[in-house]
Amino acid sequence: MTGPLLEIAGLSKRFGGVYANRDVSFAVARGEIVGLIGPNGAGKTTLFNLVTGFIRPDSGLVRFAGAEVTGMRADRLCHLGVARTFQILKPFPRLTAEENVMIGALARGGGMRRARESARRCLALVGLDHKREVQARGLSTGQRKRLEMARALATSPQLLLLDEITGGVDQPSIPGLIALVGRLRDEGVTLLVIEHNMRVIMGLADRVVFLHLGAKLAEGRPQEIAAHPDVVALYLGRRDGGH
Amino acid sequence: MTAWLGRRVEGLPVAAIVVLFAALALYPLLTALPFWRHIVIMSMLYGAMGVAWNILGGLAGQVSFGHGLYFGIGAYTAAYCYKAFGLAPLLSVPIAIAISTLAAVLIGLPTFRLRGHYFVLASVFIMEGIYVVVSNWDQLGAAIGLEYPVYRAQGFLDALWHGQFPGKLPYYYGALGLFVLALVAFRVIQRSPFGMFLVAIREEQDAALSLGVDVARYKLYALIVSAAITTLCGTFYAQYVLYVEPMSTVSLVVSLEICFIAILGGIGTLWGPALGAFVIVPLTELLRAYLSGRIALDMSALSGGGLMAWLEYYARGGGGNLDILAYGLVIILIARFQPAGVLGFIRRID
Repeated sequence: MTGPLLEIAGLSKRFGGVYANRDVSFAVARGEIVGLIGPNGAGKTTLFNLVTGFIRPDSGLVRFAGAEVTGMRADRLCHLGVARTFQILKPFPRLTAEENVMIGALARGGGMRRARESARRCLALVGLDHKREVQARGLSTGQRKRLEMARALATSPQLLLLDEITGGVDQPSIPGLIALVGRLRDEGVTLLVIEHNMRVIMGLADRVVFLHLGAKLAEGRPQEIAAHPDVVALYLGRRDGGH
Repeated sequence: MTAWLGRRVEGLPVAAIVVLFAALALYPLLTALPFWRHIVIMSMLYGAMGVAWNILGGLAGQVSFGHGLYFGIGAYTAAYCYKAFGLAPLLSVPIAIAISTLAAVLIGLPTFRLRGHYFVLASVFIMEGIYVVVSNWDQLGAAIGLEYPVYRAQGFLDALWHGQFPGKLPYYYGALGLFVLALVAFRVIQRSPFGMFLVAIREEQDAALSLGVDVARYKLYALIVSAAITTLCGTFYAQYVLYVEPMSTVSLVVSLEICFIAILGGIGTLWGPALGAFVIVPLTELLRAYLSGRIALDMSALSGGGLMAWLEYYARGGGGNLDILAYGLVIILIARFQPAGVLGFIRRID
């Protein structure tokens, strides 16, 4: 099938008088890794919530695999093939890692046995097979990030939205997480990724969308974005004496 | 070959389960005194309801303070259908369950999509509203209730058809059946994908939603199942006491008792509510028998006489409702010292 897997057109969302997202448009092609960056409060997570059905946009369209899915509930979107992780991690704390991942597999149908097999496969893929029997609340932040990825993966998504790959994770764990995202792409998953760490996103993404104050400020290849004057100004401070 | 006896079902070895239920089945041989049988019948009945409540409250994490509604639907449907149409109680069960399912849908559908405690509030207010309605509904005997015409049955099948047995023994095994049914239903659900979804909803609703779990739908299913078992218990209760009135069925007191049994026993666990019932029900029955029922609380003793006169009044053996005071005290003590419930005293739950 041709056309982008995800298409966002003129998406806006206001909370009170503040625009969390303002007229945001971009597309994600199949097999791509697209990075979503921007300063704190730029509206990245709100955009995720709009795309994954956790909140409804005030205006604008979301198309997934050619069908309009604007405002569709999160669980239905998941059945269409949209999965996500959360910036503030949301594991099922008193379930084991394996049970956590089984939920994702079960919701897509199939019995307990198949779900368990699928969960083990996904846990192995993210490198958590040795933590199968551990309750999620006993895992480190990095491990819980992997757990959320495994759980999302178990729903057999076409599109996976990762909210902060490396946030809150200790330095030594970062390369492993980056490699993992690459593996997910190799599995055939298209990825839309929020990331604060510029170096990480530059190495990982095929394209980058830059949000500022809810609006799209720039979009392009990582090198282009890194050299974009507005991006430089916002991330590194202005050199022209503006501030 | 006997290895299965050592297997554990939620911490309890199968051998222990077999012994416990064999003891329950043989208990009536131990005593023919109606009061002692009555205590265990009520424990098993409330145990069944605590376990049923736990499907919704413990697995799905949706606390209901209004399960008396479903209990009342079971009791009143049986009593009314028998009095008005001569319908056998066994045949009124499907009607009662249909009504309770309708009630569950009417309460659950609008509230389960919402966040927070809308369901809790709705469950209380609707039940309290129904309490007022039933208390003033002439066809249902209003506040006085419905009394069954006594029927002298000819043989077991006739008694079963009319839902009236002369002795306590058939009721004893009926209650045991309900108790086992509720436990089996809980266990089957707990180990099924449905049960996994309920626990996921309890643990982290947004995550469940993001993984494709239709949160509102499964909460509603849990409520329907939980309500259906509670309704069945209500019908049983009506046939057991042969008298149905609002206070002992569709009231907040009954609703709270059901959920306290589950919470104090050990919420979310298989055995907790079952155990809770066997602690709380005998306690209330014994307290009621020995402390209360002498004279209802006489407010005149309070007025004018002051605290000392009031205490003296109690000391003389006047005063009632002491059972409820003691009951409250036990709840406070358990909540203070063992929040994991009575089950927590036996094994550590973390």
